[in-house]
Amino acid sequence: MTAGSQTAPLLEVRDLQAYYGHIHALKGVSFKVEKGEIVTLIGGNGAGKTTTLATISRLLTSSTGDILFEGRSITGLEPHDVVNAGIAHVPEGRRIFSGLTILENLEMGAFALSDKAEIARRLEHGFTLFPRLKERVKQLGGTLSGGEQQMLAVARALMQNPRILLLDEPSMGLSPLFVERIFEIIEAINREGTTVLLVEQNAHMALGIAHRAYVLKNGEIAMEGDARHLLSDDAIREAYLGEG
Amino acid sequence: MTYSDILMLLPVTLADGLVLGLVYATIALGYSMVYGVLGLINFAHSEIFMVGAIVSVEVMTYAFVGSDLHPIIQIAVAMVCAATVSGTLAVAAERIAYRPLRIRKAPFLAPLITAIGISLFLQDAVRFIESLFGQFIRPFPSIPFFDQQIPLTANDTISYKSVTILVIAGTMLLTLNYLVQHTKLGKAIRAVALDRKAASLMGVNVDRIIMITFLIGGILAGVAGVLYALQFGRVDPFTGFIPGLKAFTAAVLGGIGSIPGAMLGGVILGILEVLIGTYAPIFTNNVIGTEYKDIFAFGILIIILIFKPTGLLGRSTTEKV
Ligand SMILES: Nc1ncnc2c1ncn2[C@@H]1O[C@H](COP(=O)(O)OP(=O)(O)OP(=O)(O)O)[C@@H](O)[C@H]1O
Ligand SMILES: [Mg+2]
Repeated sequence: MTAGSQTAPLLEVRDLQAYYGHIHALKGVSFKVEKGEIVTLIGGNGAGKTTTLATISRLLTSSTGDILFEGRSITGLEPHDVVNAGIAHVPEGRRIFSGLTILENLEMGAFALSDKAEIARRLEHGFTLFPRLKERVKQLGGTLSGGEQQMLAVARALMQNPRILLLDEPSMGLSPLFVERIFEIIEAINREGTTVLLVEQNAHMALGIAHRAYVLKNGEIAMEGDARHLLSDDAIREAYLGEG
Repeated sequence: MTYSDILMLLPVTLADGLVLGLVYATIALGYSMVYGVLGLINFAHSEIFMVGAIVSVEVMTYAFVGSDLHPIIQIAVAMVCAATVSGTLAVAAERIAYRPLRIRKAPFLAPLITAIGISLFLQDAVRFIESLFGQFIRPFPSIPFFDQQIPLTANDTISYKSVTILVIAGTMLLTLNYLVQHTKLGKAIRAVALDRKAASLMGVNVDRIIMITFLIGGILAGVAGVLYALQFGRVDPFTGFIPGLKAFTAAVLGGIGSIPGAMLGGVILGILEVLIGTYAPIFTNNVIGTEYKDIFAFGILIIILIFKPTGLLGRSTTEKV
Protein backbone atom coordinates (compact mmCIF):
# COMPACT_ATOMS: atom_id res chain seq x y z
CA MET A 1 0.00 0.00 0.00
CA THR A 2 1.39 3.34 -0.96
CA ALA A 3 0.47 6.52 0.79
CA GLY A 4 -1.17 7.63 -2.47
CA SER A 5 -3.79 4.90 -2.50
CA GLN A 6 -4.57 5.59 1.17
CA THR A 7 -5.65 9.10 0.33
CA ALA A 8 -7.26 8.34 -3.02
CA PRO A 9 -10.98 9.21 -3.10
CA LEU A 10 -13.34 6.26 -2.73
CA LEU A 11 -14.86 7.09 -6.11
CA GLU A 12 -13.46 9.37 -8.73
CA VAL A 13 -14.92 10.14 -12.13
CA ARG A 14 -12.67 11.77 -14.71
CA ASP A 15 -13.80 13.47 -17.88
CA LEU A 16 -16.79 11.21 -18.41
CA GLN A 17 -18.38 11.44 -21.85
CA ALA A 18 -21.47 9.38 -22.68
CA TYR A 19 -23.51 8.99 -25.81
CA TYR A 20 -26.93 7.64 -26.74
CA GLY A 21 -26.43 7.20 -30.46
CA HIS A 22 -25.75 10.77 -31.55
CA ILE A 23 -26.98 12.36 -28.35
CA HIS A 24 -24.04 13.59 -26.32
CA ALA A 25 -25.46 13.15 -22.83
CA LEU A 26 -22.32 13.69 -20.72
CA LYS A 27 -19.73 16.18 -21.91
CA GLY A 28 -16.76 15.68 -19.65
CA VAL A 29 -18.07 15.16 -16.14
CA SER A 30 -15.50 14.95 -13.33
CA PHE A 31 -16.11 14.61 -9.60
CA LYS A 32 -14.92 12.86 -6.47
CA VAL A 33 -16.55 11.17 -3.53
CA GLU A 34 -14.42 10.78 -0.42
CA LYS A 35 -14.90 7.90 1.97
CA GLY A 36 -17.61 8.64 4.53
CA GLU A 37 -19.19 11.52 2.61
CA ILE A 38 -22.65 12.18 1.32
CA VAL A 39 -22.14 13.84 -2.05
CA THR A 40 -25.13 15.01 -4.01
CA LEU A 41 -25.42 15.47 -7.73
CA ILE A 42 -28.26 17.85 -8.43
CA GLY A 43 -29.72 19.12 -11.68
CA GLY A 44 -32.93 19.44 -13.64
CA ASN A 45 -34.61 17.09 -16.10
CA GLY A 46 -32.28 15.68 -18.70
CA ALA A 47 -29.15 17.07 -17.04
CA GLY A 48 -27.44 13.67 -17.17
CA LYS A 49 -27.77 12.49 -13.56
CA THR A 50 -29.17 9.04 -14.32
CA THR A 51 -26.69 8.66 -17.17
CA THR A 52 -23.81 9.38 -14.79
CA LEU A 53 -24.93 6.68 -12.34
CA ALA A 54 -25.60 4.16 -15.13
CA THR A 55 -22.11 4.78 -16.47
CA ILE A 56 -20.57 4.16 -13.05
CA SER A 57 -22.43 0.88 -12.58
CA ARG A 58 -21.60 -0.04 -16.21
CA LEU A 59 -25.22 -0.45 -17.27
CA LEU A 60 -24.20 2.03 -19.91
CA THR A 61 -20.93 1.24 -21.66
CA SER A 62 -20.90 3.70 -24.57
CA SER A 63 -18.73 6.13 -22.65
CA THR A 64 -15.18 7.44 -22.47
CA GLY A 65 -13.23 8.79 -19.55
CA ASP A 66 -12.18 7.00 -16.43
CA ILE A 67 -13.98 5.80 -13.32
CA LEU A 68 -11.75 4.94 -10.37
CA PHE A 69 -13.05 3.03 -7.37
CA GLU A 70 -10.60 2.79 -4.48
CA GLY A 71 -7.96 3.93 -6.93
CA ARG A 72 -8.63 1.23 -9.52
CA SER A 73 -10.32 1.72 -12.88
CA ILE A 74 -13.66 -0.09 -13.14
CA THR A 75 -14.53 0.84 -16.72
CA GLY A 76 -13.62 -2.65 -17.92
CA LEU A 77 -15.96 -4.42 -15.52
CA GLU A 78 -19.40 -5.92 -16.11
CA PRO A 79 -22.29 -4.56 -14.00
CA HIS A 80 -22.30 -7.61 -11.70
CA ASP A 81 -18.56 -7.19 -11.06
CA VAL A 82 -19.06 -3.52 -10.20
CA VAL A 83 -21.68 -4.53 -7.64
CA ASN A 84 -19.46 -7.19 -6.16
CA ALA A 85 -16.62 -4.66 -5.90
CA GLY A 86 -18.79 -2.74 -3.42
CA ILE A 87 -20.90 -0.28 -5.42
CA ALA A 88 -24.65 -0.57 -4.87
CA HIS A 89 -26.95 1.29 -7.24
CA VAL A 90 -30.60 2.02 -6.48
CA PRO A 91 -31.74 2.85 -9.99
CA GLU A 92 -34.23 5.40 -11.21
CA GLY A 93 -37.77 4.07 -10.87
CA ARG A 94 -36.72 1.66 -8.09
CA ARG A 95 -36.94 -1.44 -10.26
CA ILE A 96 -37.86 -3.87 -7.55
CA PHE A 97 -38.81 -7.38 -8.70
CA SER A 98 -42.59 -7.16 -8.87
CA GLY A 99 -43.10 -10.93 -9.05
CA LEU A 100 -40.79 -11.79 -6.16
CA THR A 101 -41.80 -11.48 -2.53
CA ILE A 102 -40.25 -8.79 -0.36
CA LEU A 103 -38.08 -11.38 1.32
CA GLU A 104 -36.94 -12.71 -2.05
CA ASN A 105 -36.19 -9.17 -3.23
CA LEU A 106 -34.02 -8.64 -0.19
CA GLU A 107 -32.31 -12.00 -0.64
CA MET A 108 -31.50 -11.02 -4.22
CA GLY A 109 -29.62 -8.07 -2.76
CA ALA A 110 -27.30 -10.49 -1.00
CA PHE A 111 -26.93 -12.65 -4.10
CA ALA A 112 -23.14 -12.90 -3.98
CA LEU A 113 -23.22 -13.91 -0.33
CA SER A 114 -23.60 -17.53 0.77
CA ASP A 115 -23.07 -17.12 4.51
CA LYS A 116 -26.62 -17.71 5.84
CA ALA A 117 -25.93 -16.19 9.25
CA GLU A 118 -24.58 -13.02 7.67
CA ILE A 119 -27.60 -12.79 5.34
CA ALA A 120 -29.90 -13.13 8.36
CA ARG A 121 -27.94 -10.43 10.18
CA ARG A 122 -28.25 -8.01 7.26
CA LEU A 123 -31.97 -8.79 6.95
CA GLU A 124 -32.49 -7.92 10.61
CA HIS A 125 -30.57 -4.71 10.14
CA GLY A 126 -32.74 -3.82 7.16
CA PHE A 127 -35.87 -4.47 9.19
CA THR A 128 -34.71 -2.17 11.97
CA LEU A 129 -34.32 0.61 9.39
CA PHE A 130 -37.58 -0.25 7.62
CA PRO A 131 -39.97 -1.96 10.07
CA ARG A 132 -42.79 -1.70 7.50
CA LEU A 133 -41.02 -4.25 5.31
CA LYS A 134 -40.86 -6.83 8.05
CA GLU A 135 -44.65 -6.98 8.36
CA ARG A 136 -44.90 -7.68 4.64
CA VAL A 137 -42.13 -10.19 3.88
CA LYS A 138 -44.45 -12.62 2.08
CA GLN A 139 -46.13 -9.93 -0.01
CA LEU A 140 -45.18 -9.56 -3.70
CA GLY A 141 -42.96 -6.58 -4.44
CA GLY A 142 -45.36 -5.29 -7.09
CA THR A 143 -48.15 -4.89 -4.54
CA LEU A 144 -46.25 -2.34 -2.40
CA SER A 145 -47.02 1.38 -2.49
CA GLY A 146 -44.54 3.69 -4.18
CA GLY A 147 -42.97 4.77 -0.92
CA GLU A 148 -42.71 1.21 0.34
CA GLN A 149 -41.12 0.20 -2.96
CA GLN A 150 -38.53 2.93 -2.52
CA MET A 151 -37.77 1.65 0.95
CA LEU A 152 -37.48 -1.89 -0.37
CA ALA A 153 -35.11 -0.70 -3.11
CA VAL A 154 -32.85 0.98 -0.54
CA ALA A 155 -33.04 -1.98 1.85
CA ARG A 156 -32.25 -4.35 -1.01
CA ALA A 157 -29.16 -2.35 -1.96
CA LEU A 158 -28.02 -2.31 1.68
CA MET A 159 -28.16 -6.13 1.68
CA GLN A 160 -25.02 -5.88 -0.48
CA ASN A 161 -23.26 -4.14 2.41
CA PRO A 162 -21.77 -1.70 -0.12
CA ARG A 163 -18.80 0.62 0.28
CA ILE A 164 -20.76 3.24 -1.60
CA LEU A 165 -24.48 3.60 -2.25
CA LEU A 166 -25.62 5.30 -5.46
CA LEU A 167 -29.16 6.62 -5.12
CA ASP A 168 -31.12 7.91 -8.12
CA GLU A 169 -33.85 10.31 -6.99
CA PRO A 170 -35.06 8.43 -3.93
CA SER A 171 -37.64 11.17 -3.29
CA MET A 172 -39.34 10.84 -6.65
CA GLY A 173 -43.09 10.44 -6.38
CA LEU A 174 -43.15 10.35 -2.60
CA SER A 175 -45.31 12.36 -0.23
CA PRO A 176 -43.45 15.00 1.85
CA LEU A 177 -43.65 12.77 4.90
CA PHE A 178 -42.06 9.84 3.07
CA VAL A 179 -39.43 12.12 1.55
CA GLU A 180 -38.39 13.29 4.98
CA ARG A 181 -38.30 9.73 6.26
CA ILE A 182 -36.15 8.51 3.38
CA PHE A 183 -33.68 11.37 3.82
CA GLU A 184 -33.42 10.61 7.54
CA ILE A 185 -32.64 7.04 6.67
CA ILE A 186 -29.97 8.07 4.16
CA GLU A 187 -28.32 10.13 6.89
CA ALA A 188 -28.53 7.18 9.28
CA ILE A 189 -26.98 4.84 6.73
CA ASN A 190 -24.17 7.34 6.23
CA ARG A 191 -23.58 7.65 9.97
CA GLU A 192 -23.16 3.88 10.08
CA GLY A 193 -20.26 4.27 7.67
CA THR A 194 -21.64 3.91 4.15
CA THR A 195 -20.55 6.53 1.64
CA VAL A 196 -23.44 7.93 -0.42
CA LEU A 197 -23.68 9.48 -3.88
CA LEU A 198 -27.15 11.00 -4.01
CA VAL A 199 -28.73 12.11 -7.26
CA GLU A 200 -31.65 14.47 -6.71
CA GLN A 201 -33.91 17.05 -8.29
CA ASN A 202 -35.09 17.96 -4.84
CA ALA A 203 -32.02 20.14 -4.34
CA HIS A 204 -33.23 21.69 -1.11
CA MET A 205 -33.57 18.37 0.67
CA ALA A 206 -30.42 16.92 -0.86
CA LEU A 207 -28.26 19.91 0.08
CA GLY A 208 -29.72 19.68 3.57
CA ILE A 209 -28.09 16.31 4.26
CA ALA A 210 -25.07 16.32 1.92
CA HIS A 211 -21.52 17.33 2.73
CA ARG A 212 -20.65 18.43 -0.78
CA ALA A 213 -22.57 18.95 -3.99
CA TYR A 214 -22.12 19.12 -7.74
CA VAL A 215 -24.61 20.83 -10.00
CA LEU A 216 -25.07 19.12 -13.33
CA LYS A 217 -26.41 21.08 -16.30
CA ASN A 218 -26.67 19.85 -19.90
CA GLY A 219 -24.18 17.08 -19.27
CA GLU A 220 -21.58 19.30 -17.61
CA ILE A 221 -20.70 20.19 -14.03
CA ALA A 222 -21.89 23.77 -13.74
CA MET A 223 -20.99 24.36 -10.12
CA GLU A 224 -19.55 22.53 -7.15
CA GLY A 225 -18.84 23.13 -3.52
CA ASP A 226 -19.78 22.75 0.08
CA ALA A 227 -23.46 21.79 0.37
CA ARG A 228 -24.31 24.37 3.02
CA HIS A 229 -22.60 27.01 0.97
CA LEU A 230 -24.54 26.11 -2.18
CA LEU A 231 -27.77 26.14 -0.21
CA SER A 232 -27.23 29.81 0.56
CA ASP A 233 -25.99 30.66 -2.94
CA ASP A 234 -28.40 32.90 -4.82
CA ALA A 235 -27.63 31.42 -8.23
CA ILE A 236 -28.47 27.92 -7.01
CA ARG A 237 -31.60 29.07 -5.33
CA GLU A 238 -32.75 30.66 -8.54
CA ALA A 239 -31.84 27.85 -10.88
CA TYR A 240 -32.58 24.74 -8.84
CA LEU A 241 -34.61 25.52 -5.80
CA GLY A 242 -37.33 27.45 -7.58
CA GLU A 243 -36.98 30.27 -5.10
CA GLY A 244 -35.75 32.88 -7.60
CA MET B 1 -71.93 -48.16 -27.98
CA THR B 2 -73.60 -47.84 -24.64
CA TYR B 3 -73.10 -45.19 -22.05
CA SER B 4 -71.10 -47.53 -19.83
CA ASP B 5 -68.85 -48.61 -22.72
CA ILE B 6 -68.02 -44.98 -23.30
CA LEU B 7 -67.34 -44.42 -19.62
CA MET B 8 -65.15 -47.50 -19.49
CA LEU B 9 -62.79 -46.02 -22.05
CA LEU B 10 -62.25 -42.99 -19.88
CA PRO B 11 -59.49 -44.15 -17.47
CA VAL B 12 -57.23 -45.41 -20.26
CA THR B 13 -57.90 -42.33 -22.33
CA LEU B 14 -57.03 -40.03 -19.47
CA ALA B 15 -53.89 -42.02 -18.66
CA ASP B 16 -52.73 -41.85 -22.28
CA GLY B 17 -53.53 -38.16 -22.36
CA LEU B 18 -51.51 -37.57 -19.22
CA VAL B 19 -48.52 -39.45 -20.66
CA LEU B 20 -48.62 -37.35 -23.82
CA GLY B 21 -49.31 -34.20 -21.83
CA LEU B 22 -46.30 -34.65 -19.57
CA VAL B 23 -44.07 -35.08 -22.62
CA TYR B 24 -45.50 -31.85 -24.08
CA ALA B 25 -45.01 -30.14 -20.73
CA THR B 26 -41.38 -31.21 -20.55
CA ILE B 27 -40.74 -29.68 -23.97
CA ALA B 28 -42.92 -26.63 -23.28
CA LEU B 29 -40.79 -25.61 -20.30
CA GLY B 30 -37.85 -24.90 -22.58
CA TYR B 31 -39.90 -22.52 -24.72
CA SER B 32 -41.40 -20.84 -21.71
CA MET B 33 -38.22 -20.39 -19.67
CA VAL B 34 -36.24 -18.97 -22.59
CA TYR B 35 -39.13 -16.66 -23.42
CA GLY B 36 -39.22 -15.67 -19.76
CA VAL B 37 -35.59 -14.52 -19.60
CA LEU B 38 -35.16 -13.24 -23.16
CA GLY B 39 -38.59 -12.62 -24.69
CA LEU B 40 -37.42 -14.92 -27.49
CA ILE B 41 -39.39 -17.76 -29.05
CA ASN B 42 -36.62 -20.29 -29.54
CA PHE B 43 -37.97 -22.12 -32.56
CA ALA B 44 -34.83 -24.28 -32.62
CA HIS B 45 -36.12 -25.92 -29.44
CA SER B 46 -38.16 -28.50 -31.38
CA GLU B 47 -34.98 -29.67 -33.12
CA ILE B 48 -33.08 -29.80 -29.83
CA PHE B 49 -35.84 -32.18 -28.76
CA MET B 50 -35.56 -34.17 -31.99
CA VAL B 51 -31.80 -34.56 -31.55
CA GLY B 52 -32.43 -35.97 -28.06
CA ALA B 53 -34.83 -38.51 -29.56
CA ILE B 54 -32.31 -39.50 -32.27
CA VAL B 55 -29.48 -39.83 -29.74
CA SER B 56 -31.61 -42.16 -27.62
CA VAL B 57 -32.43 -44.36 -30.62
CA GLU B 58 -28.74 -44.64 -31.52
CA VAL B 59 -27.68 -45.37 -27.96
CA MET B 60 -30.34 -48.06 -27.63
CA THR B 61 -29.46 -49.50 -31.04
CA TYR B 62 -25.68 -49.51 -30.87
CA ALA B 63 -25.04 -49.97 -27.16
CA PHE B 64 -27.92 -52.03 -25.89
CA VAL B 65 -29.50 -54.33 -28.52
CA GLY B 66 -29.01 -57.80 -27.07
CA SER B 67 -27.70 -56.37 -23.81
CA ASP B 68 -28.52 -57.99 -20.46
CA LEU B 69 -28.61 -54.68 -18.70
CA HIS B 70 -31.96 -53.88 -17.08
CA PRO B 71 -34.10 -51.89 -19.55
CA ILE B 72 -34.61 -49.11 -17.00
CA ILE B 73 -30.83 -48.69 -16.77
CA GLN B 74 -30.60 -48.70 -20.56
CA ILE B 75 -33.17 -45.91 -20.73
CA ALA B 76 -31.36 -44.04 -17.98
CA VAL B 77 -28.10 -44.17 -19.95
CA ALA B 78 -29.90 -43.04 -23.11
CA MET B 79 -31.42 -40.18 -21.13
CA VAL B 80 -28.06 -39.00 -19.84
CA CYS B 81 -26.61 -39.09 -23.37
CA ALA B 82 -29.59 -37.32 -24.92
CA ALA B 83 -29.69 -34.69 -22.18
CA THR B 84 -25.97 -34.04 -22.59
CA VAL B 85 -26.17 -33.61 -26.36
CA SER B 86 -29.38 -31.57 -26.31
CA GLY B 87 -28.20 -29.41 -23.43
CA THR B 88 -24.91 -28.73 -25.20
CA LEU B 89 -26.68 -27.85 -28.43
CA ALA B 90 -29.03 -25.45 -26.68
CA VAL B 91 -26.12 -23.69 -24.98
CA ALA B 92 -24.20 -23.60 -28.28
CA ALA B 93 -27.16 -21.94 -30.01
CA GLU B 94 -27.24 -19.29 -27.29
CA ARG B 95 -23.49 -18.64 -27.32
CA ILE B 96 -22.93 -18.78 -31.07
CA ALA B 97 -26.13 -17.23 -32.37
CA TYR B 98 -28.35 -15.47 -29.85
CA ARG B 99 -25.82 -13.77 -27.57
CA PRO B 100 -23.95 -11.96 -30.36
CA LEU B 101 -27.28 -10.63 -31.64
CA ARG B 102 -28.19 -9.49 -28.13
CA ILE B 103 -24.88 -7.69 -27.67
CA ARG B 104 -25.44 -5.88 -30.97
CA LYS B 105 -28.96 -4.98 -29.83
CA ALA B 106 -30.55 -6.62 -32.87
CA PRO B 107 -34.31 -6.04 -33.19
CA PHE B 108 -36.43 -9.01 -32.09
CA LEU B 109 -37.03 -10.42 -35.59
CA ALA B 110 -33.31 -11.15 -36.05
CA PRO B 111 -33.05 -13.80 -33.31
CA LEU B 112 -36.41 -15.19 -34.41
CA ILE B 113 -35.17 -15.76 -37.96
CA THR B 114 -31.92 -17.09 -36.54
CA ALA B 115 -33.89 -19.61 -34.49
CA ILE B 116 -35.67 -20.83 -37.61
CA GLY B 117 -32.28 -21.06 -39.32
CA ILE B 118 -30.82 -23.16 -36.53
CA SER B 119 -33.90 -25.33 -36.68
CA LEU B 120 -33.49 -26.06 -40.40
CA PHE B 121 -29.74 -26.53 -39.96
CA LEU B 122 -30.24 -29.17 -37.27
CA GLN B 123 -32.85 -31.02 -39.33
CA ASP B 124 -30.53 -31.24 -42.30
CA ALA B 125 -27.44 -31.98 -40.24
CA VAL B 126 -29.19 -34.94 -38.63
CA ARG B 127 -30.55 -36.09 -41.97
CA PHE B 128 -27.09 -35.85 -43.52
CA ILE B 129 -25.37 -37.77 -40.76
CA GLU B 130 -28.04 -40.46 -40.57
CA SER B 131 -28.02 -40.85 -44.36
CA LEU B 132 -24.31 -41.66 -44.24
CA PHE B 133 -25.20 -44.79 -42.31
CA GLY B 134 -28.40 -45.74 -44.15
CA GLN B 135 -32.05 -44.86 -43.65
CA PHE B 136 -32.69 -41.61 -41.80
CA ILE B 137 -35.95 -42.89 -40.36
CA ARG B 138 -34.83 -44.63 -37.22
CA PRO B 139 -36.86 -47.26 -35.32
CA PHE B 140 -36.57 -47.40 -31.52
CA PRO B 141 -35.49 -51.01 -30.74
CA SER B 142 -38.40 -52.94 -29.29
CA ILE B 143 -37.97 -53.83 -25.64
CA PRO B 144 -40.50 -56.44 -24.44
CA PHE B 145 -40.06 -55.29 -20.84
CA PHE B 146 -41.85 -52.02 -21.59
CA ASP B 147 -44.83 -53.76 -23.21
CA GLN B 148 -45.77 -55.55 -19.99
CA GLN B 149 -49.04 -54.40 -18.50
CA ILE B 150 -50.16 -53.67 -14.99
CA PRO B 151 -53.81 -53.23 -13.95
CA LEU B 152 -55.19 -49.71 -13.98
CA THR B 153 -58.87 -50.43 -13.23
CA ALA B 154 -60.88 -53.61 -13.03
CA ASN B 155 -60.94 -53.85 -16.82
CA ASP B 156 -57.98 -51.87 -17.96
CA THR B 157 -54.24 -52.09 -17.89
CA ILE B 158 -51.43 -49.64 -18.37
CA SER B 159 -48.06 -50.49 -19.90
CA TYR B 160 -44.72 -50.33 -18.14
CA LYS B 161 -43.80 -47.92 -20.91
CA SER B 162 -46.51 -45.46 -19.91
CA VAL B 163 -45.66 -45.78 -16.23
CA THR B 164 -41.97 -45.18 -16.99
CA ILE B 165 -42.80 -42.04 -18.96
CA LEU B 166 -45.16 -40.78 -16.25
CA VAL B 167 -42.56 -41.31 -13.55
CA ILE B 168 -39.63 -39.80 -15.44
CA ALA B 169 -41.50 -36.78 -16.81
CA GLY B 170 -43.24 -36.22 -13.48
CA THR B 171 -39.92 -36.33 -11.64
CA MET B 172 -38.35 -33.88 -14.09
CA LEU B 173 -41.22 -31.43 -13.66
CA LEU B 174 -41.21 -31.62 -9.87
CA THR B 175 -37.43 -31.22 -9.76
CA LEU B 176 -37.57 -28.20 -12.03
CA ASN B 177 -40.34 -26.66 -10.00
CA TYR B 178 -38.30 -27.09 -6.84
CA LEU B 179 -35.22 -25.66 -8.51
CA VAL B 180 -37.02 -22.56 -9.75
CA GLN B 181 -39.11 -21.89 -6.66
CA HIS B 182 -36.77 -22.80 -3.83
CA THR B 183 -33.13 -22.44 -4.84
CA LYS B 184 -30.89 -19.43 -5.22
CA LEU B 185 -30.38 -20.25 -8.90
CA GLY B 186 -34.15 -20.37 -9.38
CA LYS B 187 -34.57 -17.01 -7.69
CA ALA B 188 -31.92 -15.57 -10.01
CA ILE B 189 -33.69 -17.01 -13.06
CA ARG B 190 -36.97 -15.44 -11.94
CA ALA B 191 -35.25 -12.14 -11.21
CA VAL B 192 -33.61 -12.07 -14.65
CA ALA B 193 -36.98 -12.82 -16.23
CA LEU B 194 -38.59 -9.92 -14.35
CA ASP B 195 -35.87 -7.30 -14.91
CA ARG B 196 -32.50 -8.07 -16.44
CA LYS B 197 -30.89 -4.75 -15.53
CA ALA B 198 -32.08 -4.84 -11.95
CA ALA B 199 -30.79 -8.41 -11.66
CA SER B 200 -27.35 -7.34 -12.84
CA LEU B 201 -27.43 -4.59 -10.19
CA MET B 202 -27.87 -7.37 -7.62
CA GLY B 203 -24.56 -8.88 -8.72
CA VAL B 204 -26.15 -11.52 -10.95
CA ASN B 205 -24.16 -12.47 -14.04
CA VAL B 206 -27.12 -12.23 -16.39
CA ASP B 207 -25.44 -13.89 -19.37
CA ARG B 208 -24.58 -16.85 -17.21
CA ILE B 209 -28.17 -17.19 -15.97
CA ILE B 210 -29.42 -17.00 -19.57
CA MET B 211 -26.97 -19.74 -20.55
CA ILE B 212 -28.10 -21.92 -17.65
CA THR B 213 -31.70 -21.38 -18.71
CA PHE B 214 -30.89 -22.65 -22.20
CA LEU B 215 -29.03 -25.58 -20.62
CA ILE B 216 -32.01 -26.54 -18.45
CA GLY B 217 -34.41 -26.21 -21.39
CA GLY B 218 -32.09 -28.33 -23.56
CA ILE B 219 -31.75 -31.05 -20.92
CA LEU B 220 -35.53 -31.22 -20.53
CA ALA B 221 -35.99 -31.38 -24.31
CA GLY B 222 -33.41 -34.16 -24.56
CA VAL B 223 -35.20 -36.21 -21.91
CA ALA B 224 -38.53 -35.54 -23.60
CA GLY B 225 -36.97 -36.80 -26.84
CA VAL B 226 -36.11 -40.13 -25.19
CA LEU B 227 -39.63 -40.47 -23.78
CA TYR B 228 -41.16 -39.60 -27.14
CA ALA B 229 -39.00 -42.13 -28.97
CA LEU B 230 -39.86 -44.79 -26.40
CA GLN B 231 -43.58 -44.02 -26.71
CA PHE B 232 -43.88 -43.75 -30.49
CA GLY B 233 -41.11 -46.14 -31.52
CA ARG B 234 -39.82 -44.19 -34.52
CA VAL B 235 -37.82 -41.03 -35.01
CA ASP B 236 -36.64 -39.05 -38.02
CA PRO B 237 -35.03 -35.62 -38.54
CA PHE B 238 -38.47 -34.01 -38.87
CA THR B 239 -39.96 -35.58 -35.76
CA GLY B 240 -39.52 -32.38 -33.78
CA PHE B 241 -41.90 -30.22 -35.76
CA ILE B 242 -45.37 -31.31 -34.60
CA PRO B 243 -44.55 -32.04 -30.93
CA GLY B 244 -42.55 -28.80 -30.88
CA LEU B 245 -45.49 -26.85 -32.23
CA LYS B 246 -47.80 -28.43 -29.69
CA ALA B 247 -45.41 -27.81 -26.83
CA PHE B 248 -45.14 -24.19 -27.92
CA THR B 249 -48.93 -24.04 -27.98
CA ALA B 250 -49.00 -25.57 -24.51
CA ALA B 251 -46.61 -22.88 -23.30
CA VAL B 252 -48.84 -20.14 -24.73
CA LEU B 253 -51.98 -21.79 -23.34
CA GLY B 254 -50.45 -21.93 -19.87
CA GLY B 255 -49.13 -18.39 -20.17
CA ILE B 256 -45.76 -18.10 -21.86
CA GLY B 257 -43.02 -17.29 -19.37
CA SER B 258 -44.88 -19.09 -16.60
CA ILE B 259 -43.34 -22.37 -15.49
CA PRO B 260 -46.41 -23.88 -13.78
CA GLY B 261 -48.31 -22.59 -16.82
CA ALA B 262 -46.19 -24.62 -19.23
CA MET B 263 -46.80 -27.73 -17.14
CA LEU B 264 -50.55 -27.14 -16.94
CA GLY B 265 -50.77 -26.24 -20.63
CA GLY B 266 -48.94 -29.41 -21.64
CA VAL B 267 -51.16 -31.65 -19.57
CA ILE B 268 -54.36 -29.98 -20.78
CA LEU B 269 -53.30 -30.17 -24.41
CA GLY B 270 -52.25 -33.82 -24.12
CA ILE B 271 -55.47 -34.87 -22.43
CA LEU B 272 -57.67 -32.86 -24.82
CA GLU B 273 -55.92 -34.38 -27.80
CA VAL B 274 -56.33 -37.97 -26.65
CA LEU B 275 -59.90 -37.42 -25.39
CA ILE B 276 -60.99 -35.97 -28.71
CA GLY B 277 -59.03 -38.58 -30.65
CA THR B 278 -60.89 -41.32 -28.79
CA TYR B 279 -64.38 -39.89 -28.54
CA ALA B 280 -64.82 -37.89 -31.74
CA PRO B 281 -65.12 -41.06 -33.90
CA ILE B 282 -67.44 -42.68 -31.35
CA PHE B 283 -69.84 -39.76 -31.08
CA THR B 284 -69.89 -39.03 -34.81
CA ASN B 285 -70.11 -42.59 -36.05
CA ASN B 286 -66.64 -42.30 -37.57
CA VAL B 287 -67.60 -39.27 -39.67
CA ILE B 288 -64.90 -37.40 -37.80
CA GLY B 289 -61.94 -39.69 -37.40
CA THR B 290 -59.11 -39.58 -34.90
CA GLU B 291 -56.98 -37.75 -37.45
CA TYR B 292 -59.03 -34.57 -36.92
CA LYS B 293 -58.24 -34.42 -33.22
CA ASP B 294 -55.82 -31.51 -33.58
CA ILE B 295 -58.42 -29.23 -35.16
CA PHE B 296 -60.67 -29.62 -32.15
CA ALA B 297 -57.87 -29.46 -29.63
CA PHE B 298 -56.58 -26.23 -31.16
CA GLY B 299 -60.12 -24.88 -31.56
CA ILE B 300 -60.66 -25.26 -27.85
CA LEU B 301 -57.31 -23.59 -27.20
CA ILE B 302 -58.29 -20.60 -29.30
CA ILE B 303 -61.51 -20.27 -27.32
CA ILE B 304 -59.60 -20.41 -24.03
CA LEU B 305 -57.18 -17.75 -25.27
CA ILE B 306 -60.02 -15.47 -26.32
CA PHE B 307 -61.26 -15.48 -22.74
CA LYS B 308 -57.78 -15.49 -21.17
CA PRO B 309 -55.42 -13.90 -23.71
CA THR B 310 -52.37 -14.07 -21.43
CA GLY B 311 -52.82 -17.82 -21.00
CA LEU B 312 -54.17 -19.68 -18.00
CA LEU B 313 -51.42 -18.71 -15.54
CA GLY B 314 -49.83 -15.88 -17.50
CA ARG B 315 -49.07 -12.52 -15.99
CA SER B 316 -51.41 -9.87 -17.26
CA THR B 317 -49.56 -7.29 -19.36
CA THR B 318 -50.73 -4.40 -17.21
CA GLU B 319 -48.63 -5.76 -14.37
CA LYS B 320 -45.41 -5.29 -16.32
CA VAL B 321 -45.16 -1.53 -16.18
N1 LIG C 1 -32.05 5.70 -23.67
C1 LIG C 1 -31.82 6.96 -24.12
N2 LIG C 1 -31.80 7.17 -25.44
C2 LIG C 1 -31.56 8.41 -25.92
N3 LIG C 1 -31.35 9.48 -25.16
C3 LIG C 1 -31.36 9.32 -23.83
C4 LIG C 1 -31.60 8.04 -23.24
N4 LIG C 1 -31.55 8.17 -21.91
C5 LIG C 1 -31.31 9.48 -21.67
N5 LIG C 1 -31.18 10.15 -22.82
C6 LIG C 1 -30.89 11.60 -22.95
O1 LIG C 1 -29.72 11.88 -22.23
C7 LIG C 1 -29.85 13.08 -21.51
C8 LIG C 1 -29.60 12.84 -20.03
O2 LIG C 1 -30.60 12.00 -19.52
P1 LIG C 1 -30.65 11.50 -18.01
O3 LIG C 1 -31.69 10.43 -17.93
O4 LIG C 1 -29.28 11.14 -17.58
O5 LIG C 1 -31.14 12.80 -17.25
P2 LIG C 1 -31.49 13.01 -15.72
O6 LIG C 1 -30.61 14.08 -15.23
O7 LIG C 1 -31.47 11.74 -14.99
O8 LIG C 1 -32.97 13.58 -15.81
P3 LIG C 1 -34.25 13.31 -14.87
O9 LIG C 1 -34.08 14.17 -13.67
O10 LIG C 1 -35.39 13.75 -15.70
O11 LIG C 1 -34.29 11.85 -14.53
C9 LIG C 1 -31.24 13.62 -21.79
O12 LIG C 1 -31.13 14.59 -22.78
C10 LIG C 1 -31.98 12.41 -22.33
O13 LIG C 1 -32.95 12.80 -23.27
MG1 LIG D 1 -32.88 10.61 -14.04
